Amino acid sequence: MSLIGKSPARPDALDKVTGGKGYPVNVRLPGMLHGKLLRSPYPHARIRRIDTSAAAKLPGVKAVLTPADVPRRKFTPVYFVPADAGSMVQDMVIMSDTVRFAGQPVAAVAATSLRIAEEALALIEVEYEELPAIFDPEAAMQPGAPVLHAHAPNNVAVNPSMGFGDLERGFAEADHIFEGVYQSHRVHTCYMEPRVCVVDCDSQGRYTVHSSMQHLFGLRQKLAYALEIPESDVRVVKPPYIGGGFGGKLDLGYIEPVAALLSRRAGRPVRIEQMRYEDFISTARHPIKVYLKTGVKKDGTFTARYSRSILDTGAHATHGAEVINVHGAFGLLMTYRCPNAKWEGYTVYTNNMIGGGYRGYGSPQACFAAESQIDEICEKLGLDPIEFRRRNAWRQGEAHPVIPGLKLDSYGFEECLARGAERIGWKSRRKANSGSGTRRRGIGFACQPLWVSGCVGFPDIYEHSGAIVKLNPDGTADLATAAMDLGSGQITTLCQIAAEELGLPMEAVRMVQNADTTTVPFDAPSHASRVTYSAGGAVRAAATVARERLLKVAGIMLEASPEDLTVADGRVSVRGAPASRSLSVAEVAQRAESPFVQHGAQGPVPTTLEEKGTIIGLSSQAPKGNPSPAAVAFVEVEVDTETGQVDVLRAVYAHDLGRLIHPQGAEGQVEGGFQQGMGYALMENLQFDPDSGTCLTGDFLDYKIPTAMEMPRDIQSVFVETNEPTGPFGAKSLSEPCITVPAPAIANAIYNAIGVRIHELPITPEKILAALGKI
Amino acid sequence: MQKLITLQVNGERHELAVEPDESLLQVLRNRLELVGPKKGCDSGGCGCCSVHVDGRVAYSCMMYAVGAEGREITTIEGIGSPATGLHRLQQAFIDAGAVQCGYCTCGIIMAAKQLLDTVKQPSEDQIRLAIAGNLCRCTGYAKIVDAIKLAAAQT
Repeated sequence: MSLIGKSPARPDALDKVTGGKGYPVNVRLPGMLHGKLLRSPYPHARIRRIDTSAAAKLPGVKAVLTPADVPRRKFTPVYFVPADAGSMVQDMVIMSDTVRFAGQPVAAVAATSLRIAEEALALIEVEYEELPAIFDPEAAMQPGAPVLHAHAPNNVAVNPSMGFGDLERGFAEADHIFEGVYQSHRVHTCYMEPRVCVVDCDSQGRYTVHSSMQHLFGLRQKLAYALEIPESDVRVVKPPYIGGGFGGKLDLGYIEPVAALLSRRAGRPVRIEQMRYEDFISTARHPIKVYLKTGVKKDGTFTARYSRSILDTGAHATHGAEVINVHGAFGLLMTYRCPNAKWEGYTVYTNNMIGGGYRGYGSPQACFAAESQIDEICEKLGLDPIEFRRRNAWRQGEAHPVIPGLKLDSYGFEECLARGAERIGWKSRRKANSGSGTRRRGIGFACQPLWVSGCVGFPDIYEHSGAIVKLNPDGTADLATAAMDLGSGQITTLCQIAAEELGLPMEAVRMVQNADTTTVPFDAPSHASRVTYSAGGAVRAAATVARERLLKVAGIMLEASPEDLTVADGRVSVRGAPASRSLSVAEVAQRAESPFVQHGAQGPVPTTLEEKGTIIGLSSQAPKGNPSPAAVAFVEVEVDTETGQVDVLRAVYAHDLGRLIHPQGAEGQVEGGFQQGMGYALMENLQFDPDSGTCLTGDFLDYKIPTAMEMPRDIQSVFVETNEPTGPFGAKSLSEPCITVPAPAIANAIYNAIGVRIHELPITPEKILAALGKI
Repeated sequence: MQKLITLQVNGERHELAVEPDESLLQVLRNRLELVGPKKGCDSGGCGCCSVHVDGRVAYSCMMYAVGAEGREITTIEGIGSPATGLHRLQQAFIDAGAVQCGYCTCGIIMAAKQLLDTVKQPSEDQIRLAIAGNLCRCTGYAKIVDAIKLAAAQT
């Protein structure tokens, strides 16, 4: 293979280092208005009256919207399921007259300038009837608690459970039983480009939408559903790229339907860009409290695992209805072999902000609980944590633990453990709390033994992709797909896969800019670690079709059978024949689009009907499997016992990703995943006023994420290539396991350094000092 | 009440009528249509809007346009382009794989440029400190630091 496993320059990088025109935040349309949302200061209230008359009269204001003006159809904003999916809860409207979290939009305006829009908001009078609010999910489940939604009298939105075996017998067979409670917190994805959209309603009531989002077709479908219009009346334009997503742009926001309705009223395009504080209250990883009880034999074999998870979904269920299942299945129930297990989940409404999608999707919270507890068990029983995990691990060739009908065809978890341990120097690790002085070092690790490459096998979740590959007469190829590049290099990887299959140089394949939902096949979102595997598979399939057609035309031109032809470096040649008997891909593509005579170096050549027809390949397909990647992160930390400060000195990732397509990009994704995981472990925390529910961390001065100063200088990636048989060139996925493992790895390393165990994220200096008995 | 100002941006003079509370970032993006400086937070917390003011890196969201009058403003568009040739930092960011979503990239390059303009062979500590006012959420900064080292090695 000539391109797979190499790191050609990203096609989008040149544009991004010289300004970056392609972001949705740059979209401007003629006559465009600026929209702005008025947000509630109260966390729970009924709107008695809204007076917008003064705002509407302000010169420059072109449209005003209140809850009385919006369709009443309830929907789930989550992109990757059908609008009426049974697994989700349809509990939102575009703008409600009941406020359920502080910051919920209650009115909106569109004006000729942002300044006028802001002035107009100040003129809107809203009379609220305050209602008692509840912020603690366990308190919300108690009788007598304020109720958020009539359909959920105990505030439980969904309550799934799963299990197998005989739990009682499993615990009876255990030599030791361990119980713990692990609490995670609310963090934001911190995409750098704010959520922004421009929506233009034309004279026929059809909408064109530009938005910073992770899923063209999801946005089309959810927006149409919420507006109660046919899906084909919404056209979503694919931006060349967006400024990050990480799961935070995986649902219909308030801004898109509001901009659509304002545009319809004003007859002009409307742009709404969120301020950063609006982003901070738009999406978050859910806090989950995990009660975890585990039975083990003396040798460390699991006999029983029981867990109960309380997820704070905030004002609406949205992603919380699905996050809870992923959390239970892929985080707690199925990660290791255990014959008797049960898990129960509670997705609970509170008057907190609405949770959203975030890389890992429930798994970071579970991984923190499960991987912390395994180390606690090992410490107590004197077992080696690596051997413990290996003993309970799934093996290559076994049936897939979660998805019926699939097998673990490629599964390199044990190799990840071994190679990661070797790289960090696991054998040189000291016993816990055996250092001296005030700066103590420790090594720890954690695993994500099981994860997804897409969503095949999930009943309600879309999982297919499509692509169009078209050859141009100059020997280049256009690749069109709906798969979004969030920054993690989807354009590069997909072009690389197409180029490899077509035998073209990397720079000869270009991703089509500004495709839209009318011109490309359906695609599931850029989420669930799926793009390289699923969309990559579809791109390869489309390229294969184009390649077959290329060889057919070339065969006629070269008077050879297509089976005897090869294509590499942009030339088609006959196997075993002299190099002179070859053609450039350009010559073949020209012949396919030529008139009845082709003029070339040899003079006019008559062409045949059989040769004619643009060389093009189309695919629209579901992938054949859902192979599990596996990941292990080892870290070395230094803890200052005087200040409680934790510094991460080194990190080693070992990751089974099937096959490396673009090593530099893969390393970059791992390094970024570590930053997010480390921020989750040590510093990031969305905080709210306990009485008013107002967000106290509405900018990057108060919401701290790791800078270049806090990050470890040494992050190493070990890639285990197991060559997945169903993946494009053997690839499976990479993105999400990177982010689930740092928090428990850091917690375990802190224990190794100072002998204290923190069960509640984030692990702040205060918690360290309190655990050391110093405050 | 708008105020007439003259701004010197990337070597060009612009006469503009601006609101007294309009930020330099708003003027660069909305009036001069320079998309390089980005709005990430509008509160001096992320560095996506970083430009040079008289050769020193500054958050353009935290500066009034009226306060920039008489000063030399440089944005990413002023240090290199496909037409005029890339600055070595721009090329190094491509080569080192330091660009992912890219939303922070222009600001970080401007921060790094001030460092390389003043220190020929910076240490890793100096590099990390120079970009500590710029947030990136994709890369973990590793390849960004590599890129700045690569550019520094080319002097």
